[in-house]
Amino acid sequence: MPDFTDRLRPSQPDGPTTLARERERSSVSVNELAQHLLSADGFLERQARVLPVLQREPLFSKEKQQNLSRPERFKLGLARAKLLRRLADKHAWSTVDYKMAEYLVDDVSPYLLQMEMFLTTIREQASEEQRAYWQPLIESWKIYGAYAQTELGHGSNVRGLELEARWDSRTKEFVLHSPTLTASKWWNGSLGRLANHAIVVAQLLLPEPGSPDKFVSHGPHPFIVQVRDMKTHQPLNGVVIGDIGPKYGYITMDNAYMLFENFRIPHSAMLSRYSSVNPDTGIYTKPEQPALVYGSLTYVRANIVHHARLVLARAVTVAVRYTAIRRQFKDRDGDKKGLEMAVLDYPTVQIRIMPLLATTFALHYTGLAMRAVYENTRNEVEQGNFRTLAHMHSMSSGLKSLCTMLAADGVETCRRALGGHGFGGGSGLIQLNNDYLSKPTVEGDNWMITQQVAAYLIKKMTAAAESSNTAAADETDARFKEFVRARSSANSRPAQYNVLENDQAIVKSFEHRATALAYDAYEQRILKKKNWNELLIQLHKLSRAQSQSILVSTFFEALSTDKNLSGSTKTVMWNLYRLFALYTMENEGFESRKVFRCNAVSQADLSCLPARVQDLMARIRPHAVNLVDSWKIPDYLLDSALGRYDGRVYEDLYNRAHRLNPLNKITFNPNYWEEEIVKGSGDNGSTILSKL
Amino acid sequence: MPSPPPAWVQALKPSGPQGSELLQQERAQSNVNVAKLSELLHTKEALQRQQKLLALLQPEKVFDKSQNHSLGRVDRLQRSLAKAKRLQQLSEQHKWSMEELHAANDLIGEPTPYGLHASMFLVTLREQGTPEQHKLFLERAQKYQIIGCYAQTELGHGSNVRGLETTATWNPQDKTFTIHSPTLTASKWWIGSLGRTANHAVVMAQLFIGGKNFGPHPFVVQVRDLQTHQPLENVYVGDIGPKFGYNTMDNGFLLFNNVKVPHVNMLARFSSIDKDTSKYVRPALPSLVYGTLTWVRSNIVLQAGGVLARGVTVATRYCAVRRQFQDRDAEAHAGENQVLNYKMVQVRLLPLLASMYALHFTGRGMMRLYQENQNRMKAASSPGQDSRGAGPEELRAGADLLADLHATSCGLKALASTTAGEGLEVCRRACGGHGYSSYSGIGPWYADYLPTLTWEGDNYMLTQQVARYLLKSARAVLSGKSSGNDTSRILQTYLDRRDKGASFDVLEEDADIVAAFAWRTAHLTFEALKHRDAEKRSWNSLLVDFWRLSTAHSQYLVVKNFYESVSSPELSASLDSETKTLMHQLFRLYALHTLEREAAEFFASGAVTVRQITLTRTTAVMKLLDEIRPHAIRLVDAWAIPDWQLDSSLGRYDGEVYEDLFRRASQENPVNDLVFDPYPWNEALLKNKSPKSKL
Repeated sequence: MPDFTDRLRPSQPDGPTTLARERERSSVSVNELAQHLLSADGFLERQARVLPVLQREPLFSKEKQQNLSRPERFKLGLARAKLLRRLADKHAWSTVDYKMAEYLVDDVSPYLLQMEMFLTTIREQASEEQRAYWQPLIESWKIYGAYAQTELGHGSNVRGLELEARWDSRTKEFVLHSPTLTASKWWNGSLGRLANHAIVVAQLLLPEPGSPDKFVSHGPHPFIVQVRDMKTHQPLNGVVIGDIGPKYGYITMDNAYMLFENFRIPHSAMLSRYSSVNPDTGIYTKPEQPALVYGSLTYVRANIVHHARLVLARAVTVAVRYTAIRRQFKDRDGDKKGLEMAVLDYPTVQIRIMPLLATTFALHYTGLAMRAVYENTRNEVEQGNFRTLAHMHSMSSGLKSLCTMLAADGVETCRRALGGHGFGGGSGLIQLNNDYLSKPTVEGDNWMITQQVAAYLIKKMTAAAESSNTAAADETDARFKEFVRARSSANSRPAQYNVLENDQAIVKSFEHRATALAYDAYEQRILKKKNWNELLIQLHKLSRAQSQSILVSTFFEALSTDKNLSGSTKTVMWNLYRLFALYTMENEGFESRKVFRCNAVSQADLSCLPARVQDLMARIRPHAVNLVDSWKIPDYLLDSALGRYDGRVYEDLYNRAHRLNPLNKITFNPNYWEEEIVKGSGDNGSTILSKL
Repeated sequence: MPSPPPAWVQALKPSGPQGSELLQQERAQSNVNVAKLSELLHTKEALQRQQKLLALLQPEKVFDKSQNHSLGRVDRLQRSLAKAKRLQQLSEQHKWSMEELHAANDLIGEPTPYGLHASMFLVTLREQGTPEQHKLFLERAQKYQIIGCYAQTELGHGSNVRGLETTATWNPQDKTFTIHSPTLTASKWWIGSLGRTANHAVVMAQLFIGGKNFGPHPFVVQVRDLQTHQPLENVYVGDIGPKFGYNTMDNGFLLFNNVKVPHVNMLARFSSIDKDTSKYVRPALPSLVYGTLTWVRSNIVLQAGGVLARGVTVATRYCAVRRQFQDRDAEAHAGENQVLNYKMVQVRLLPLLASMYALHFTGRGMMRLYQENQNRMKAASSPGQDSRGAGPEELRAGADLLADLHATSCGLKALASTTAGEGLEVCRRACGGHGYSSYSGIGPWYADYLPTLTWEGDNYMLTQQVARYLLKSARAVLSGKSSGNDTSRILQTYLDRRDKGASFDVLEEDADIVAAFAWRTAHLTFEALKHRDAEKRSWNSLLVDFWRLSTAHSQYLVVKNFYESVSSPELSASLDSETKTLMHQLFRLYALHTLEREAAEFFASGAVTVRQITLTRTTAVMKLLDEIRPHAIRLVDAWAIPDWQLDSSLGRYDGEVYEDLFRRASQENPVNDLVFDPYPWNEALLKNKSPKSKL
């Protein structure tokens, strides 16, 4: 319906004008940088190919989804997931194509677990015979599965799981049973309403040899179990399953609870690539290498690390574009008749957004490095070589903790930098924040898993300290031994790293700090025998320092070895590297300052950091819009009035409020003495009450 | 709703020890007198009021909370209006006072569409209207015969009120104002209660007389028809759509196409137009306008303590019930360790526990100061001060008590709401995976609270006002015109001792902790002054310094208020010596934990030595965590937040965490009514309904 507001325009200069100016004044070539970042694995080509297919389908329109109830939103999520699958068949999409489509639609797909944890676990933990049976069923979607490990009472501590799988030697079956309420499976994605099969992790209980009535636990093991009827889709007898209810985000995922009452499954249900039970004797065969059970989890963590860059890039894209357009207050020292200042020109805004812009690139290079390490290790393990497994496990734990924290906090920091409009549905950062905030606690709580990094480093340091003069086994070992040797030699003066002038010195100073903290931890725990619990905070900081060191060094390596970026773009990238590293150094608080100061970085350099950071931000500022453009995040994915490529911020906000908002189709009766809620409905409030 | 689970499921208990047993143990190991401490925090009257209201509200079906997080936006808002109406009916029936209505609303736990009518609309009419206007608008508004809101913020302007674009042009011929929106960015935006509910608004618009702009002024404008509730002609109004939180409020947009209102609709207590001469009459006491805002901000500080307390109550209770991993150094069969025993959890939660007490006492202190100031101003309310149209921070700094309070309230509002907002997210994450469930009660609460960080002055923008005030005060002190208020005093002390240096015994002397915080603030103030006055740095380039300065100053004020409260005779009289000691430990934990985090600034200012910082981190804070840990549950119990208000499975008083999570998931979750067809090639979504069910 036309009205007088159709004629109104935003005050000048408007968003398109402002963004055009921003794009013109930067020497960063958007396409060149985008190619550098995203072309290697065909990402850009794939995005360009899949996007138009999605945008043709009305079901994928995101316009009104924020208004739906949980059941309706879940149904929409399932309808989309189904359509995506059908499109995948129609267009013969590969798995990566399909994932691209999921990424662009941006629902947490209720089908997510099928190709991730379900298939991966079968591939990695099933025997050959089991694989031959199950894999085709999964890949053809004849069965539909989930991964049920976490319970109501236990998450991080997998060994504490309570669900039992008791071997019945008479019938050669396992009996799944939940002895308590806390044994209920909980949080398991895709299982609440959808999956008919699940990998169920349960304590393996076997009769003690010699006394068949006494059972001994052999720890948690995975079983593949059918849980719903294939025709009626109702849970099988002896199984209770449901969705666990509304959450902070993940609205389109049916996270489940699941309980068993003496539920029998065949001997073949136990996934037995690494450990197995002899059906005749009931005797248990141990896995050769227990750490292998961590395989799938490490894969998921490596993926989370790799994905963090795109999550943060989305938030930073919105923040940079909007704050470049948004004007508020005139410069106190400037022309009183002039325009109001762009919010992005305030240092208090820059200090929040610019380091995060730099962080997107740091996360990118580290994500690539993490992937490479995962692939190498996997290949080695397939060939029976477990040498690098512990290193990969530690690296993935530490980086998962730090990178998800950086991205999750970064998304929220960007949202708040948008001021009031950041709170609105048009910011595009609400669902992103809601969905992504699961990451700091999922797949290993960010605070818990840093213990694994610390334990690994303490072990490495112990080995280095015991034989500091032998040849080094790997890079970390070499660094640790050098540190131990320098420490014990009386006349060695610690090197001072010139972090303001030399880019490689920055890397060295971060490595030095991580090594020094590893030595501290080794000293406290091994030499002084300090209580583990008392050390937890220190150990967390050690893990953080180690992971920061990885982020800085991979960033440096990537820029040093790159041959393709042109001079002007490269200059800006080096400034981003410096900003990321020096901002991190400045913000690591006093403790790290002490390490940096006493051993690695001079006091004078440290006191220069705030000014240097501000200077770097000013240098990067003119390129900010082009830098975020280089991430090539389509408007369809951003779904943000504030972050639109064309800058039509206010028009879009108004359009969403005015034309797309279902609430505005209802007229209220505001008088409190009348029970009627919707004007003219004559309803005495009974409709409302009936929904309770 | 789904049918109840089978008998074998209903018979299951959580594995032992039960949550109820663990919380009993927790309560048994501490002697804190919860009842006495509650009374000190909230007063006996407030606690009794809460009980009375709870008994009244809880049984009413319309206030049921179980579906809050499953409903769609449109249904939620309709229910929210139903709740608001019922509350107002009860209020009338039981003749509630303002406090009682507010307390009832707090128990309901979500904003309602009457929210801005009951607060800003009534307050603005009362404070800025003339007696004539009170008769015309306020009296009807108090009876809800007209329902209003406060329309200031626009699509293009929030913090910068002077930049508003809506205009009100005086027409001398027919003695009216024309209210008009010249651009799209002039649209009012974010206005609470306006979207679907209000029929009137106080509209802030640029006043133009004879082509000259006199800045933003308030006008009462009717926006909807009182019979049909449809927008009036040439008024365009609606709800702005779904948000991060606050979805039970109809925040609105509003545009005018040359709408005329009579002369009497400009709220004229402070400034007005002479009807006959068209002359503008300047405000007599500009600072009075700031009084309301100062009160609102003091309130935000006080509330921040309570807001945070909800998160801390949930997380602390849950972490005492939740057990995960055996202690690595414990004996083999020791059982799993309560999560609250992990230092990594303590170091996140216990400083927040201390913060909620710190903010509460600080808020109380500010309210007291505000009252004293109001009384003083009433006593001497004759005009005669210079009548500049500027904010109080532009007035004579140091000499003016209101300036001190206004600057104080800006910085503290920023610090307190940031502490509470971010603290809630820390609490949520400390609950591990279950914190992500809406049934944790933290996520939705966090989402509803977040706008507080940007409204009533964006937290980053506000810090400039504090810095400006501190710089003025420093200049006054340097030129010997110190006024003797607290800000001047700490600046003077620093100047007097700067050459001798400080030697504060922060590890042993509580008063020295306060002095060290004062020292750091003074140091940063003179540093900033040097940059601005001697080095002539631009204002813009110093904003980050100013933000740090404001934060430092506000932390000083919290530490000072907390210290004064725990040392007060009032507190001594009402608490036993053990609880009193604990209050001092909470003070030290808040102060030393802050000092440790801001160590670089404390060190650079010369307030403390490296050795002191190291000892604070490795010894003092760790010792305080150990000392406070056994009392953690009783310290949150003392906030006396009813279960119904917490609305949290994890934070229940009785510790029946797992039973409640399971009950809600299986019994109150409408998703479990749906039986799906999971296969991609079947377009049907549901097995138990027609395939064409609405999307």
